[in-house]
Amino acid sequence: MHNEKLVSLKSMTFYTETVAKISRDWYPKDHIVQQVIKAKQFIDRHFADPIDLDAMALEAFYSKFHFIRCFKALYGRTPHQHLISVRMEAAKHFLETDARIADICYRVGFESVTSFTSLFKKMTSVTPAVYRDRKKAIFKN
Amino acid sequence: MKIKLTSVMVDDQDKALAFYTTILGFAKKTEIPMGEHKWLTVVSAEEQDGVELLLEPLGFAPAQTYQKALFDAGIPLTMFHINDVDKEYERLMKLGVTFSMPPTQMGPAKLAVLDDTCGNHIQIVQIL
Repeated sequence: MHNEKLVSLKSMTFYTETVAKISRDWYPKDHIVQQVIKAKQFIDRHFADPIDLDAMALEAFYSKFHFIRCFKALYGRTPHQHLISVRMEAAKHFLETDARIADICYRVGFESVTSFTSLFKKMTSVTPAVYRDRKKAIFKN
Repeated sequence: MKIKLTSVMVDDQDKALAFYTTILGFAKKTEIPMGEHKWLTVVSAEEQDGVELLLEPLGFAPAQTYQKALFDAGIPLTMFHINDVDKEYERLMKLGVTFSMPPTQMGPAKLAVLDDTCGNHIQIVQIL
């Protein structure tokens, strides 16, 4: 509906024309786009739960490989990478509270503190404890 | 190496500060007088230790040509992330902000483009 509004604009700029062209040429199969968006939003809402990505894929797509391919084409990362990223963002938020690091780990959906710590360090280059200390120092100053 | 700062060129720093804080909702981070102009940055109110946005004066004539060419083509100089483009569009419209592109879905993103009154189109984007 918004795209129709865009097309009906009296004076389209080079940019609005480009956006309309990309929408038309790159995202022609709207039902697939909507299915992938729905799956991604499910991950966003339920990241803290044990999410079965295989089940999610099979529900909406013929195969999990097709689902992963479509997801990556739209978001530039696999559903699993997205899930990890959402959990990490939530963990960063909770690290600004006084909650115990182990509790944060389970609260955002990880099952092992060791793997959580090592993934956190890989993605932010510091451990959760150091991240928390740095945040505290910033807000103290 | 870290990305700590990015910039938008503005035709008037005081006017820009008013628009980016009062209308868009950013917070002023740094203001250092430097003769005719100043080192002036804002940050997201939600991420005050995040990347700073420099409101950069247009002291270099070719930069004005570049800014005008982008503006005339409707091309956003930069983009900001938002949780709900439709809601923000309604909020900004009520504040009198003009848009060259209303909320428009492009694949997994919803975009809108506004006029920052300082010579730039700015895109707001929501990842769906």
